[in-house]
Amino acid sequence: MKTNYLLPNKYKKFGWTLFLLGIISGIVLQISDGKRDLFDIGLINDFGYEFLDEIISVLIIIGGLLVGFTKEKIEDEFIFKLRNDSLVWAIILNYVILLITVIFIYEGNFFTVLIYNMFTPLIFFIIRFNFLKLKSNTDEE
Amino acid sequence: MKNKIKIQRAIHDMTQADLADKIGVSRQTINAMEKNKYVPSTVLSLKIAKLFKQPVENIFFLEDED
Repeated sequence: MKTNYLLPNKYKKFGWTLFLLGIISGIVLQISDGKRDLFDIGLINDFGYEFLDEIISVLIIIGGLLVGFTKEKIEDEFIFKLRNDSLVWAIILNYVILLITVIFIYEGNFFTVLIYNMFTPLIFFIIRFNFLKLKSNTDEE
Repeated sequence: MKNKIKIQRAIHDMTQADLADKIGVSRQTINAMEKNKYVPSTVLSLKIAKLFKQPVENIFFLEDED
């Protein structure tokens, strides 16, 4: 199956590493809520902490793109269909959720929703795609 | 669309993995087609038919709802 926007399979593991690192540190950053002692682990100095949210965003976006848009070991038309279906599913789910939050959530809280919304289309897509892959894998004769 | 891939596979004594390997797709793709969960492209249908040395119509069939 020829596609012109997919990277080679070898980048997938690297993508997962960046993506999970980004997600986990993002969650930790959210929980720590501005208290930086959680990140006092030598590696991160004041300068690093200043840009921590930027770094985490970059990790999630680059990692997520690599996970979602690298070739499978065997890239064929069925995988292509699963990927497309997952993308449509993720976009629809994302906007349904956004629509609900637009109607019911305001001001500061809505801004928080928008921050999460930077990543949710990619995250929903990755979850759905891997779920479908897993399902077709376990769906034995 | 329905197909007789499984029957043809049995005739030629092939596993899903053998067939997948021969036509360059994943085993999941063969499995999904046999379970009628995936309708293959024209190219893939023709490849399968060619491998089994059959006309495409002998392996793939339209259903009423198609």
